[in-house]
Amino acid sequence: MSHDTNANRSLFSGKPLRILIGFILVVNGMFPALWILFTSLKTEAELTVKPITWLPHAPTIANYLRAFTDQPLLLFLFNSFMVAILSTALTLFISVLAAYALARLQLRGRDLILSAIIAVSTFPLVTLLVPLFEIMRALGLLNTWVALILPYTVLSLPVCTLILVSFFEGIPRDLENSAMIDGCTRIGALFKVVVPLSAPGVFTAGILAFVNAWDEFLLALSFNSNPALRTLPVGITLYQGEFAFPWPVISAALVVGIVPVAVLIVIFQERVVSGLTSGGIKG
Amino acid sequence: MATASETTLVNTHNESGTKWWTRFLDPSERTLAVLLLMPAALLLTLIIVYPVCRLIWTSFQNLSLTSGVPAAFAGLENYSLMLEDPVFWETTWNTILITLITVPGALFVGLALALMANLPFNVKWPVRLSLLIPWALPLSFAGLIFAWFFHSEYGVVNDVLRRIGIEGVIWFNSANWAFAAICLTIIWKTSSFMALIILAGLQTIPRSLYEAADVDGAGRLRQFFEITLPLLKPAIVVALIFRTITALQTFDIPFTMTRGGPGTSTATLAMYIHQNTVDFLDLGYGSALAVVMFVLSMGVTAVYLRMIRAKG
Repeated sequence: MSHDTNANRSLFSGKPLRILIGFILVVNGMFPALWILFTSLKTEAELTVKPITWLPHAPTIANYLRAFTDQPLLLFLFNSFMVAILSTALTLFISVLAAYALARLQLRGRDLILSAIIAVSTFPLVTLLVPLFEIMRALGLLNTWVALILPYTVLSLPVCTLILVSFFEGIPRDLENSAMIDGCTRIGALFKVVVPLSAPGVFTAGILAFVNAWDEFLLALSFNSNPALRTLPVGITLYQGEFAFPWPVISAALVVGIVPVAVLIVIFQERVVSGLTSGGIKG
Repeated sequence: MATASETTLVNTHNESGTKWWTRFLDPSERTLAVLLLMPAALLLTLIIVYPVCRLIWTSFQNLSLTSGVPAAFAGLENYSLMLEDPVFWETTWNTILITLITVPGALFVGLALALMANLPFNVKWPVRLSLLIPWALPLSFAGLIFAWFFHSEYGVVNDVLRRIGIEGVIWFNSANWAFAAICLTIIWKTSSFMALIILAGLQTIPRSLYEAADVDGAGRLRQFFEITLPLLKPAIVVALIFRTITALQTFDIPFTMTRGGPGTSTATLAMYIHQNTVDFLDLGYGSALAVVMFVLSMGVTAVYLRMIRAKG
């Protein structure tokens, strides 16, 4: 195994210290999610014991059952999945086309368009709450998935386009040209040669778009007042009663909401890191 | 769409190519580029350009959906109302304070995390996952989880404080402690993203620079300040721009942790915009508030862009 070029140049070295530091990093990153998992497995009685217990003494899945029956959690999951997947698909389609034009075709004002894309990526979408609300109302799109899919697509479009431009630029033109000699059109060559060869980039862009859409809260809260159309982040706030805050049930719902994204991240961790740090940036 | 134009094109390639529809289906490179950019342009027009114009227009209107009065031009009325509105000043100040605290906070914590994560670990995935999970966690989830952390009776924070002999506080009953809890949560949530960006920057610094510094007898600390930090600057500046702009939009974490309470002491400008728009349906006033945030974030972008150009 070769180490990073200057990995051991840090201020600290030595094995025991390294293990301690690794432990600190893991606790910092994982503890909140782990703690919510512990909470979700505790009984109501154990939760109100003082001093509080850390590990659940008698683990129970009762809170998970309640999470699915107190509120339509499955429906929230379904809404979140559909909105995230549809907006990811739309983002990828639009940004593949745009990225190809920017990476391959003669285009006047290419640099200007690229800087406009970067400017859009810093745009505070919150400020457009009023006009977007009005537009969605005028188009009859309030309380539909579309009201979220369109803004979410804009949210991820800049990052995805920039990632795809850098991938497309790395594909040899010869491959495309020979496909066109074989009778493909440019568009045909794009979807039959360039996109498949850029699969890692398309994948990275897709994961970022999915996570952006899965996480969004404010627009989902504002545009969909109908409980049947709530996405997961908004739906989970509904567990809060007038006076009571049923923490074990909320914890169970949170765990259910964390798992899908955690699975994506575990499987595609290297891809996500490269996407975040190379192509574009979105907090 | 692709397959349709494709099959037609194969057939028309051998023909004379003068019919207008042939030219439409087999456009020149420039035309094709414009066509390919069209969907993106249309979407951005619908979701950004037109709404920005509409936002500015609405901010000069008297437009409240609950009053039953039709929209009317109001001049600067919304803006003058805003200047006399103590909640506007409080939420704006809270937003600026959150930005001033959490952006440097996330930078320092993120830098520390990145330096730690850059050690030569034999197994890399636990460290990588530990930086990715906080990034991928929805902000609203982080808010709920940390609200539970800071729970005065059964929260883990007060439990740990008690174990080391410090009396915990009722975090969400006091404006200052609630604000502190919110800032700590935001710093935790955003520092791992900072760390990922800085870590990527660290790994591009050539080792030879440090070897040369060793030969010159420069100590580790001096190497850090004279090699590592200056070379990290571009990565840090980019990360700071995005973090500052998202900090100005802070909504999810205070909303899920405190709903802005006690009173409006932890409410942000974004929360006030949301309240006026969605709860009070006062679109004119909501728009005027949004214009303020728009100007704030454009100002930040401009300052940073100038910084990049000056130092670049």
